[in-house]
Amino acid sequence: MAVTHDVPPQLDELVSTAHRIRQAIESVIEGKSDAVRLTVTVMLAEGHLLIEDVPGVGKTMLAKALARSIDSSVRRVQFTPDLLPSDITGVSAYNQQTREFEFKPGPIFANIVVGDEINRASPKTQSALLECMEEHQVTVDGVTYELETPFMVIATQNPIEMEGTYPLPEAQRDRFTARVAMGYPEPAAELEMLDVHGGTSPIDKLQPVATTEEVKALIEAVRGVYVSQAVKKYAIDLVVATRHSPDLRLGASPRSTLQLIRAARAHAALSNRDYVIPDDLQELAVPVLAHRLLPSVEAHGQRRTPDQVVSELIRRVPVPETRGR
Amino acid sequence: MRLSLASAVATFAVAIVLYPLLSGGGWFWGSLGAVVVVFGASVLSGKLALPAWAAPFVGVLAMLLYITAVFSGTKAWALLFPTTDSIPHLGKLYAAGWADIQRYAAPVPSNTGVSLLTTTGVGGIAIIVDLLSTRLRRAALAGLPLLALVTVPATILSDPIGWPSFIIAALGFTGLLIADGRERIGHWGRAVLVRRTRHATSGPRDTADTRGLRLSGKRIGFAAIGAALVLPALVPTMEPFQPFTFGVGGSGRGGSGNSITIPDPVAGLKGQLQLPEKRTVLTYSNSDNQPRYLRIYSLDVFDGEQFRMTPPKGAPENRTENGPLPRPPGLGDSTPVQEVNTKIQISEEVEDLRFLPTPYPASQVRADGDWRADVSSLMVFTTEEDASGMEYEVSSIEPKPTPELLAASQPAPADRVEQKLLELPPGFPQEIRDLADTTTAKAKNPYEAATMLQELFTDKTNGFTYSLQTQGQNNNALVDFLIYSKTGYCEQYAAAMALLARAVGIPARVAIGYTGGSKVENGFQVTTADMHAWPELYFEGVGWLAFEPTPTASAPLGQGTARVPGYTVRPTEQSSSTTGPDNTVNPEVGEVPSLNPNALRNIRELEQDRLAGNGSLMVEEGMPLWGKIGLGAAALLLLLLIPAAMRLVTRSRRVRSLSWRISGPSDEVTAKTARVSPPVAAAWAELDDVLCDYGMARQPSETPRALARRLTEQLEFDADAAKAIAAISTAVERVLFAREPGVIDPLKPHLKTVRRALADTVTRGRRLRAALMPPSTMQRIRGLGEKLLDGFDRLENIRLRRGGSEEETTSRELVNR
Repeated sequence: MAVTHDVPPQLDELVSTAHRIRQAIESVIEGKSDAVRLTVTVMLAEGHLLIEDVPGVGKTMLAKALARSIDSSVRRVQFTPDLLPSDITGVSAYNQQTREFEFKPGPIFANIVVGDEINRASPKTQSALLECMEEHQVTVDGVTYELETPFMVIATQNPIEMEGTYPLPEAQRDRFTARVAMGYPEPAAELEMLDVHGGTSPIDKLQPVATTEEVKALIEAVRGVYVSQAVKKYAIDLVVATRHSPDLRLGASPRSTLQLIRAARAHAALSNRDYVIPDDLQELAVPVLAHRLLPSVEAHGQRRTPDQVVSELIRRVPVPETRGR
Repeated sequence: MRLSLASAVATFAVAIVLYPLLSGGGWFWGSLGAVVVVFGASVLSGKLALPAWAAPFVGVLAMLLYITAVFSGTKAWALLFPTTDSIPHLGKLYAAGWADIQRYAAPVPSNTGVSLLTTTGVGGIAIIVDLLSTRLRRAALAGLPLLALVTVPATILSDPIGWPSFIIAALGFTGLLIADGRERIGHWGRAVLVRRTRHATSGPRDTADTRGLRLSGKRIGFAAIGAALVLPALVPTMEPFQPFTFGVGGSGRGGSGNSITIPDPVAGLKGQLQLPEKRTVLTYSNSDNQPRYLRIYSLDVFDGEQFRMTPPKGAPENRTENGPLPRPPGLGDSTPVQEVNTKIQISEEVEDLRFLPTPYPASQVRADGDWRADVSSLMVFTTEEDASGMEYEVSSIEPKPTPELLAASQPAPADRVEQKLLELPPGFPQEIRDLADTTTAKAKNPYEAATMLQELFTDKTNGFTYSLQTQGQNNNALVDFLIYSKTGYCEQYAAAMALLARAVGIPARVAIGYTGGSKVENGFQVTTADMHAWPELYFEGVGWLAFEPTPTASAPLGQGTARVPGYTVRPTEQSSSTTGPDNTVNPEVGEVPSLNPNALRNIRELEQDRLAGNGSLMVEEGMPLWGKIGLGAAALLLLLLIPAAMRLVTRSRRVRSLSWRISGPSDEVTAKTARVSPPVAAAWAELDDVLCDYGMARQPSETPRALARRLTEQLEFDADAAKAIAAISTAVERVLFAREPGVIDPLKPHLKTVRRALADTVTRGRRLRAALMPPSTMQRIRGLGEKLLDGFDRLENIRLRRGGSEEETTSRELVNR
């Protein structure tokens, strides 16, 4: 290679750790390496992940596998229509012995919170969760409790057309860094799954491959990835393009720009690179941006999903150029 | 309204081409007024919804009122309405204007009569254009009257119409067509054709969107004008074919083309020499059967611009019928003379010739009619007669000076010679004086000085050549001719020698007339191509002697029938300055032996022979047709190769900068500089262009990495090429996006590998096209054009916005109703 460049040592470590995590997850989820990679990316970007797909393709399994592969506290909440906000954040109960109200932390107090079928809960409960996601803190009865670090919410949801769902409002969807669709497995992967999962559940055998401290260090390393002005400008161009596209009723928010850059940093780090290139953004734009967008009536009529619109925008927005003549 | 305005603008834009014909501004304002009046009439008849046939009458009526008001207001009723007084007054003005136009060479002074004629003409054209475009909605047909207007200066002037005025005229007509197009398609509705997507989102419009169409129209229009300007420059020149006219300086107007009127001798001279086809002017025979120059005019005043003629004075007692003419000035009794009788027959085709061509010096002229001689110059002229078809006899006494006599001639005493014959204008260039002095430094007497001056021109080592392309004889033109270009025709040679002679104190003037012509069966034939100018120098005791500085047919190029008079060749220099058969003459005899007819033939005649296919001589003026075509083709080829050359230049510039090496930046500043480091940028730009040339251009959204991947996968690059392209893309990535680009090795070999790998994947035709007509360069050129169009767009949009708001109000009013 004609180009030589020193990669910071923590990056090497990050790559190997991340690789271990990915391998661990992939031992449970067959043939979904893209989804797995995106999941790890979002984790390193300190974001939250929304997994959306039809039932039974392994959404929950993915969330649980990630949680398991890190030696961290994991809580799982099954969202149902009768779930109350306090079921998530925790309640203050009166302790008769101390004669004081005592805070009983809810499932939100964990490193990784898996919210299953989040769109089955009532909006009130949904918003309680989402507030925690943004603020990284919980306020109950006037007392604020800090959440754990790292803190990541992995929510799964069924497509909004399914029965008995309360679709997430745009404002709340906006808080998820990325949305990933699992998709049906390839026939070969499905056969493999039948073979392996026939007798035992591989998730039970999954051993943690990284500690919380390691993950924290990884997140710290990701923050150090360099983003040039040109790339920042490109990210803005992409986001602005969604706001001006005639196919979209609602474009992406400034928060999404921030999260796009964060995710791109993680993506670059996972590729063993200490700087972000437009390719990172191009790869992440659909999962990071598409779930926040609302298609216009025309696009909806033409059955063009926001995913397709964003893909088109990526093909249209020019990448940063050299100033060569 | 829009069409009327466009018609008016087009007419006036075309009328501007008349400017070289007329001097002064009278015609300009008059024509502008006429166009405005016709425009007003057109709007009026539009508002009154008059039928199409009535509109021109309104226009004519308006023009009549306008002309009456402007040109005979004092005689009109209420300054406006024609009366029995004003109409004849106008008629008189027309006649006067017509006469002036006939009399003067262009530019004609723009006096009242001429302005009236011009105004009427332009007004008439404006009415016809308006009728065709506004009433009959045949805007394209309106080009015909406009074209007629353009042909007026084009046919009269020998010089082509200047390109700026052509552009103005063409833009005027294009504007008319555009206006017509807009009117026509304004009712169609929204155009499907939209040039840019970014314009497409400007929101719904109530009115029809014709921008796309209009833009294509504009593109075509501009392209056509550009082509009209550029193509004739590339195509071999075609000489116009004028079957029925000699069309000389300012007389061809109004159909009286079949004439040789020479209001301005110099203009006439050039005009006749440039005629594509020579016509016989006169034939003559004389007593000793020798060709002789026939002089018509004698130009004796030099005003710094050109030689002019003092208006000849012919008192009634100097009528030719009264007997012998006055004795030639300066001719002494001791000088031997030869008496010659010449019979001259002027051609019927010649018109308005009021000066008789005569051999100098004439002693007696036997011609019918009132012909008078000017005493000092011996020009024979008339005020009433016309020499057309005339036959007359001239006796002349030709001085036959011996060299001794000439050498003995002393400078003319001041009282014997008019001062104007020695006068040089103030500001006469010192270079010419110096040239005259150095040329004649060794001269022992005026005669030797004169011969030395002639040798200055005839001696081939001095490098004077003959070309009809030269213009003017004013001070600057003379300096250019004498010192720098040394290229001209008889006008320059004659004027230059006369002035040089004046500079050394020899009285001199310029004669204009005809050379001796070509020998025919029983005499000589003189044609338009034999028209000539030569200097005459004065020697006390001998009088005026003609000299011949212009290259003759014996020189490689020259005026065919011109001859160097024997007495003008110095005996001592004779052998060395021999330039042709003329100079073998014994100077003492001063006679010219009859020459080989071919040598005497005019070069223009030869040219025509060759064009007709029975000659094969190559001459300067007459580059053969295939030569012109070849030259044109070569020029076209060169023009076509410009993009290829541009591409090569760009490539070599980039490859040069490629060899630089970027090392690891040692500090922040170098890091910043390295970010825009030229070598990587150059490599990337070059790769971009190569891809474009081979038809696999990079999308603007394609990142370096994605490009490398695409090429490697799609084109099945081998390991080397894949490595090379990866190296380039990584380097670009680093330079653009990394915190520090790090160490990047020279990319030159990589670029070479990639280029070769790319070239292998395309067809030979594609490679050839990439070399000869590289799409990347064409794209850049097209980009420039786009920018130009964008500029026009912006102008258009400014106007549209204003127009748009008006249209909106109108439509709102309609709704309210």
